[in-house]
Amino acid sequence: MTPDNGGYMVAAYIVVAVVTVAYAVSLVWRVRKLK
Amino acid sequence: MSRRDKALRLARTGQIVTGVALLALAGIYVRALVFTPVERLQGPAQKIFYIHVPTAVIALMAFAVCGVLSIVYLGLRDQRLDRSAAASAEVGVAFSVAMLISGPLWGKPVWGTWWAWDARLTSTLFIFLLFVGYLIMRDSVVDPDQRARFSAVIGVMGLVLVPFIHVTVYLFRTLHPDPVLIKPSAPSMPGVMLVTLLSSFGVFMLLYIGFVLQRYALANLQELREEEMLRDS
Amino acid sequence: MRDYTRAVWAIIAKDATVEWRTKTAFLSAMVFAILVLSILFFARDPTAVSALDIAPGALWVTFTFAAMVGLNRAFLLERENNAMEGLLLTPVPRTAIFVGKMGGNLLFVALVELVSVPLFVLFYNVSLTERLPELMLVTAMATLAFVSVGTLLSAMVVRTRFAELMLPVLLLPFLIPPVVGAVQVTARILAGRPLSEMMGWLKLLAAFDIAFVVLSVLLFEATLDE
Repeated sequence: MTPDNGGYMVAAYIVVAVVTVAYAVSLVWRVRKLK
Repeated sequence: MSRRDKALRLARTGQIVTGVALLALAGIYVRALVFTPVERLQGPAQKIFYIHVPTAVIALMAFAVCGVLSIVYLGLRDQRLDRSAAASAEVGVAFSVAMLISGPLWGKPVWGTWWAWDARLTSTLFIFLLFVGYLIMRDSVVDPDQRARFSAVIGVMGLVLVPFIHVTVYLFRTLHPDPVLIKPSAPSMPGVMLVTLLSSFGVFMLLYIGFVLQRYALANLQELREEEMLRDS
Repeated sequence: MRDYTRAVWAIIAKDATVEWRTKTAFLSAMVFAILVLSILFFARDPTAVSALDIAPGALWVTFTFAAMVGLNRAFLLERENNAMEGLLLTPVPRTAIFVGKMGGNLLFVALVELVSVPLFVLFYNVSLTERLPELMLVTAMATLAFVSVGTLLSAMVVRTRFAELMLPVLLLPFLIPPVVGAVQVTARILAGRPLSEMMGWLKLLAAFDIAFVVLSVLLFEATLDE
């Protein structure tokens, strides 16, 4: 009855985590470059 | 404390806030994936809702903040307003990327189509493109005063544009109704799901703050570096 | 008020004269128009898609591309020999410079549109005669929309590194409401629908025009250095 679309969920959660962490890392790295 | 030290302190504060927010985000992930029930009609993919909606709302909010700061900048001409506006714009772009990828991943299983030209998605897409252009333009203007003025002009225009895009899509939609299959219902959400959504919203908000603090501090450091280079030349 | 209008006309006349001498921008825009109209006509399965289906879109893509060609050229003129500084030193009010530039751009695009429409009628075999005034109205409204924003953006962009790329990138989001509106109205006009059915779109175009013409004029000052 309940559709089996867990794959999409996993993909989306991974993407959002990757984007968020990547941006956080980029900020830290750019500050470090200017220290 | 020198300006440089102040900027570094601010960056450090931003990093701490971001760190806390990221840990909290991990908590949200666990709550959403494990402890929130699966929606019967839409299946597990519905859970994308808990991260897609907050990123979408906060992305648009970030751009609105940029727009408002731009208006104030044009009145007061304080460079700090420009740096804050730019910080909010860049963070908005980052959140938009998350939103624009999670959106189709939710749309495909639930609506049957990767992209639906609905008002919110379309507005965010075009505002995202505008602010990408905003960031590219900032990169190609060397003079800080000119950069600030040009950015503010785009920021203000972008702010005024949003309602127009909304109405455009709404007019298009009402005259060309889509065979939309399932519309996720927000108001009649059971308590457990609502709590997950609201806490997720709070965490992404905290993340926004942490990011903006860091980005603003970075802008201050960049300005200091530019001043140093000017002095040495 | 008198002086203001005269200043605006002077700027329009100046730009028109310069363009008339070389005609390059106008010719480029016309070549674009013919190319776009032809390509879009051929890029379909004629048994599945009628010319009337794609006609409105083809027309407006043509007009928009033509506008881009004109917009790029507008402030480029002032960039050479630092002509802009000279213009700013005159007692002409700043907003008049903008209105003059915008007027010149409108004239340019209107000319391209004027020449494109017969081509359009020819290629797509549409009958326009009774609906011409309405088509002119919607064309004027939409053109004003993207020329006003485009003139403001080109004033800034001409001083950056990738001007020809930056203008379309920044202008695109602002094209959505007017061009979508224009295409929707044009499609209905070509299909013989009465104007009363398109009031929503026309109001959108009118509101956009008012908002963005005023905004562009007000914001022009901020794009000037000093």
